[in-house]
Amino acid sequence: MFAFTVARRYLFSNPAQTALLVSGVTLGVMAFVFITALIGGLAIRLTDDVTANSAHISLDPETRMARVLPSPDAEVASVAIISTFQRRQIRAWKSTVSLLRSHPAVSAISPQISGSAFLVKGEAVSPVAVTALDPADIDAISSISTEIISGEASLGADGILIGSRLAETLGLSSGQPVLLRTDRGIDRLLIVRGVFQTGLQSLDERVAYLSIQTARPLFLLPEGITNIEIKLYDPDSAREMATFLHEATGLRATSWQEKNASLEGALDAQSQTGTLIQAFSLISVLIGIASALSLSANRRRGEIGIMRAFGVSSAFVAAVFVLQGLLIGMVGAGIGCASGFALCSWLETLTKPDGTMVLPIAPREGGYIAVFLLTTIGAVLASVIPARSAARLDPLEAIQQ
Amino acid sequence: MSALLDARGIGMTFRNGDELTEVLKGVDLILEQGELAALLGASGSGKSTLLSIVGLLLKPTAGTLSIAGQSVEGLSDLERAQFRNRRLGFIFQFHHLLPDFTATENVAFPAAAPAGAISPAMRRRARDLLARVGLADRMDFPATRLSGGQKQRVAIARALMNKPELILADEPTGSLDRVAAEQVLDLMREVNRDDKATFLICTHDEHVAARCTRRVTLKDGSIEGV
Repeated sequence: MFAFTVARRYLFSNPAQTALLVSGVTLGVMAFVFITALIGGLAIRLTDDVTANSAHISLDPETRMARVLPSPDAEVASVAIISTFQRRQIRAWKSTVSLLRSHPAVSAISPQISGSAFLVKGEAVSPVAVTALDPADIDAISSISTEIISGEASLGADGILIGSRLAETLGLSSGQPVLLRTDRGIDRLLIVRGVFQTGLQSLDERVAYLSIQTARPLFLLPEGITNIEIKLYDPDSAREMATFLHEATGLRATSWQEKNASLEGALDAQSQTGTLIQAFSLISVLIGIASALSLSANRRRGEIGIMRAFGVSSAFVAAVFVLQGLLIGMVGAGIGCASGFALCSWLETLTKPDGTMVLPIAPREGGYIAVFLLTTIGAVLASVIPARSAARLDPLEAIQQ
Repeated sequence: MSALLDARGIGMTFRNGDELTEVLKGVDLILEQGELAALLGASGSGKSTLLSIVGLLLKPTAGTLSIAGQSVEGLSDLERAQFRNRRLGFIFQFHHLLPDFTATENVAFPAAAPAGAISPAMRRRARDLLARVGLADRMDFPATRLSGGQKQRVAIARALMNKPELILADEPTGSLDRVAAEQVLDLMREVNRDDKATFLICTHDEHVAARCTRRVTLKDGSIEGV
């Protein structure tokens, strides 16, 4: 294609100007890649922080609601009230667990009994949220054993694990006895087997772990459980999976996104801000291409005029400028993607003295294909304005100038 | 002998706001094949406008025009461009060579652009033409490394590339020194004599007109004498 040859020659005729133009595109694409990788990395880190020590989906019995029962004959309707005679529990939990274990998206399951209690040590009393689980799968949802700072992560028949702040409040340490008084009014003396520290005040101050067998008589649940906690291989699929599980089991299924709606809102806002920055960086790149090619078309008016005079079509002239835009866009975007990846990879290696990353950047999240296509297509579109202006040039006017 | 150029009653009026300027007033011009005609006239007499109309770069406001037996009035812009490419050659005062191309590529350009590439046959013809205009040793030189006279000779070779029937030249020696101008005039005479190519040379230089076989003088938009 001869128009391609002409476009290439035009670009190489002024290497310094072309290099500057390509550098501008490269920098814009690098900025796009950096912002995308940073926002992607930040979202991954926040999601990891939230989901690392909690379930991706929680299954529990539906909350029973009081409702009005319409009467076909009488004007006065009757009201159904919630029965408090029986505890809310999942009786057929073993079949639900079997269903979950066979699902390929599920990575871990933890049937639990959750309830409220007080820990009593002498005159000191502290409320605790008790989580009772299978001692064999103690780390299924949260890596409790790695957070033990004294004692060990073993839940025997009379063992309890408590958080570091709770231990401090009650003056407890591993190996000491403590009285647990549940919301069912049952007391039992337990031994503190271990003290954990997650770094989250709400957990370290208010949570205690028991074995599920120890908890059954304490919460009057000889067979059932109160909830099933689930981890997925892909946390992002939790919402869809929760809908599926609700329909399959009839239980209330709550995804981690639903539990952390404010986090999702923050991530959305962050993503929108990023999109705005990305759009501005791309627009500035495209304006640069359009203005540089417009200047080139203006400088070459005489040549274009003579081409048109000896019968070269306006489509050929337009193609010369559109192809210049395409070449600048492709080369700039290609170099920008490569440089952006290199920059992000280097930033990923930078760490603070405590070993954490300086920037939560994820080089793989750079959006390379998107930015390459957007820049290339955008560069072609940006070149349409100078191309149209060159193609419409009156040959006579151009030659006489 | 049939007329190569048959222009009758050509009129051209330009509008500038409410003001109308009549540049050409019913010009009749007939050129036979093989003529070397000089189009003379003072500045503003309308000679460049007439040349542009004959070169299909401008549409007249009145009159009829046929070139090589073909009426060109009803042609679309694309057809006019194709007609210019295949049947007309242009030499302007300023060569407007493509600076990023060699002499050979510049000469081959009018054939290569519609075809999509410079074929070996095009390259051979371009080199033959360059040899003919005395630039056998400059064929692969970039246009920027040629002198003014050499550039204008390349422009003449370029005008001949597609074997046009009518070559239109607008002040072809206007930007050259005396020696270079003589060489260009000699070259045009030689092409006219050997190829039987028809030339219409727009000039205000009596010396150039004296080297032509016919004089057409425009005065105030009308042919003064033939």
